[in-house]
Amino acid sequence: MSIFLYSLISGILTGGVYALIGIGLTLIFGVMRIINFAHGDLMMLGMYGTYLLSTFLGVDPFVSVLLVFPAMFLFGGLLQKALINRMLTSVAQNQILLTIGLGLILSNTVMLIFTSDYKTVTTSYASSTLKLSENVSVSAPLLVAFSITAAITAGLYWFLQKTDTGQAIRATAQDRDAARLMGINVSRMSILAFGLGSALAGTAGALLMPTTYTFPQIGSVFTLKAFVITVLGGMGSVVGATLGGILIGIAESLSAVYISSGWKDVAVFVLFLLVLLFKPSGLLGKSRT
Amino acid sequence: MRAALKLTLFLIVLGGLVAFPRMVQSPYFLQLMILVFLAVAQGQSWNILGGYAGQHSVGHAAYFGVGAYVTLILLQSRQIPPWWGIWAGVVVAVIVALIIGAICFRLRGPYFVLASIAVAEIMRLSATNLKGLTNGAEGILATDIPSLRWGERVVADFSISKVPFYYIGLGLALLTLGVAWGVAHSKLGYYLQAIREDQDAAHSLGIPIARYKNYGLMISAALTSMTGSFFGVFVGFVDPPTVLGLDVSVQIMLICIIGGMGTLYGPVLGAVVLVPLAEALRSNAVTDLLVKVGAVSPESKVGLFLKENLSHAHVLIYGILVVLVILFMPEGIVGALRKLTARRRREVA
Amino acid sequence: MAILEISHVSRFFGGLAANADVSFSVEEGRIMGLIGPNGAGKTTLFNCITGYYPPSRGEIRFDGRSLNGLQPDRICKLGMVRTWQKVRPLAKLSVLDNVMIGALARTHSLNKARELAMVQLTVVGLERRADFLAGGLPIGERKKLEVARALATQPKLLLLDEVMGGLNPAESEEIIQLILAIKQQGLTQMVIEHDMKAIMRISDRIVVLNSGEKLAEGTPEEVVSNQDVVDAYLGESHA
Repeated sequence: MSIFLYSLISGILTGGVYALIGIGLTLIFGVMRIINFAHGDLMMLGMYGTYLLSTFLGVDPFVSVLLVFPAMFLFGGLLQKALINRMLTSVAQNQILLTIGLGLILSNTVMLIFTSDYKTVTTSYASSTLKLSENVSVSAPLLVAFSITAAITAGLYWFLQKTDTGQAIRATAQDRDAARLMGINVSRMSILAFGLGSALAGTAGALLMPTTYTFPQIGSVFTLKAFVITVLGGMGSVVGATLGGILIGIAESLSAVYISSGWKDVAVFVLFLLVLLFKPSGLLGKSRT
Repeated sequence: MRAALKLTLFLIVLGGLVAFPRMVQSPYFLQLMILVFLAVAQGQSWNILGGYAGQHSVGHAAYFGVGAYVTLILLQSRQIPPWWGIWAGVVVAVIVALIIGAICFRLRGPYFVLASIAVAEIMRLSATNLKGLTNGAEGILATDIPSLRWGERVVADFSISKVPFYYIGLGLALLTLGVAWGVAHSKLGYYLQAIREDQDAAHSLGIPIARYKNYGLMISAALTSMTGSFFGVFVGFVDPPTVLGLDVSVQIMLICIIGGMGTLYGPVLGAVVLVPLAEALRSNAVTDLLVKVGAVSPESKVGLFLKENLSHAHVLIYGILVVLVILFMPEGIVGALRKLTARRRREVA
Repeated sequence: MAILEISHVSRFFGGLAANADVSFSVEEGRIMGLIGPNGAGKTTLFNCITGYYPPSRGEIRFDGRSLNGLQPDRICKLGMVRTWQKVRPLAKLSVLDNVMIGALARTHSLNKARELAMVQLTVVGLERRADFLAGGLPIGERKKLEVARALATQPKLLLLDEVMGGLNPAESEEIIQLILAIKQQGLTQMVIEHDMKAIMRISDRIVVLNSGEKLAEGTPEEVVSNQDVVDAYLGESHA
């Protein structure tokens, strides 16, 4: 029972971090109608950023978020402005292929620089736990990661709901043409959305580093996880993505314990196919016929 | 008249290809040609679904891997020769295709692309985890391939040279080309293209969309599986990343993107461009060339770095190629050539 | 005899009724006009009839059988085909290929389909455009291509969704003549049109939709003298 509780809780905590990746993807999709297949690779960049900061400058992984977030924001904005913007009007297939190409460039450049060895950061607290009750404890770094995630998600929600820029982003997501007519600078919103999406993915990567390892090709699995999360939550919904992320975290963590760790990614993909089969509009979405 | 010209040209090229192993003894070029044939076959198989029907699969490694694994597993554990194993692979690939089709083709949008990746990843992870069946990450080594006999006569002995593989590869490329030609010149091909251009319009004209997409996927999967069987036997080894990795799927797709999707020549041109490029990168020929021209000195840091790493960089180059082609040549080589000839025609007229 | 019977059809989107309790029937060999202000639910009704969205309530019967739950391709095979308000050419295929794809609904042979397609291209006057890319045609010819492609499926009932929209008077006149010629061959047609003069000329009967409901039905003369219809249209032009 305590194993079940432990893995359930760590699933929820990890899932919360995954949710950031999903929210980023959903934001980009909402504003630009582009599915970003390089999303997991952006997260991977965040991981390597944290690895560098921690290994060579001694920056604590959680503190590194303060640098990774703005750096990934700039990088994402630049990608959007230089490349993805040119493709906004072309057919969906070509947009997909472009982001796939970008993902390959990112992961393989990183591989050339860092080789394909696994990289980890070392912290004093990597395996420290908090006791919740007599026989249930929870990983401290995961709890911290989850708390930071929750704060960022709340901040993002506030930004989208309450600020003028946030509302402009939401308006663009709802109807690009109408937003343009209302005087919203749609192309700026796209840059902003892609920047934010990248920053969220990179941050998630940074937050995962204390409890996991990274390698150049880790992105593709996370791109797919991000899709599963957004499809589960219904494309374009921040709340849905949060729930989707947590669900994926739980599924992964439970299958790692009760099936085997080698199968935990399989569980995620199978879950994805099942969702497509039974509830393609997402768990929160209205079913379409 | 033009058809006759095309046919003559085709027969001349074919004659040259049949005679090639007699004229060129170099095992390196023989190997390169075999890889080109393989790529033509892979591209043409993908093209039926991705090019004609517009359903871009980024998970064709699934079918490629099924072909390779099924054939080698049957060969190693049951001593079933590859020319039977290849058909077993086809059957398994078609079953996988039917399952994916049933799940995805009811839906619109990017779901098929996503699901195709998911299925390929499920296969890769399963091949890594199902150690009893696939020997896990260590892969399967084919010890020796029985020679192909016709009655008592040995038709092909695979232990002496690669020449039998050359002709089988050529045959496979021709088979896929023939199937693609047949599809393009049939009701199926017209319907697949209608689906690619506009699903709603196609639906209103009496085309059962999901069913035709499934036909396209099944044919594509069956052919891709055959290329996988060929690869497995040719290399004599399979492991999860070499036949089921994401880069395998991307490479298959890239052949068509570079050459031109939805055309018969596209995958051929794509293969002819991509394979030598990939081989040059892999074999460090590019570094050697740079050294020879004097662009970098072999002892310098850059030279050493290139020598060390460029052979791993082929996927990076694929990525750059995808981005460049999509941005500047979205219809591939065939599309660019067409534009050129169209412009010339306009200038003449 | 009625070839198409629409009884109590409603279609909801969220809480909104795009069509509410619409009933009428179309007689064989006649032209039924379907008019109404913008947003009256004309195209939605076409989408319900041709199987794109099943009606939320009610029943549609075509040629004596219920269409409920049938997909567009099945409905096409039964003999009912539509054109699109916003034309949908298969852009990268030739004009001939476009029409052949229509004809392939009735044959497996490409040669047969090519023959059938050439016949329909001649009917609409596009035979000299056969080898052009469909995406490159001017709007007037694209509208004709839509009709030729639909006719190639050999329908019993042809649904035309604003085939004269965006055309100049000369082009519209050609389409009117085309519609009348099609009628001569005994084909039933249902036509959505904004051009009042045109619809009055070609229709045997007219159904008027307003806010998703059937406002009036009758011969063109009856409809123009109907006070509700006049009010609806005045309302639109005053708004």
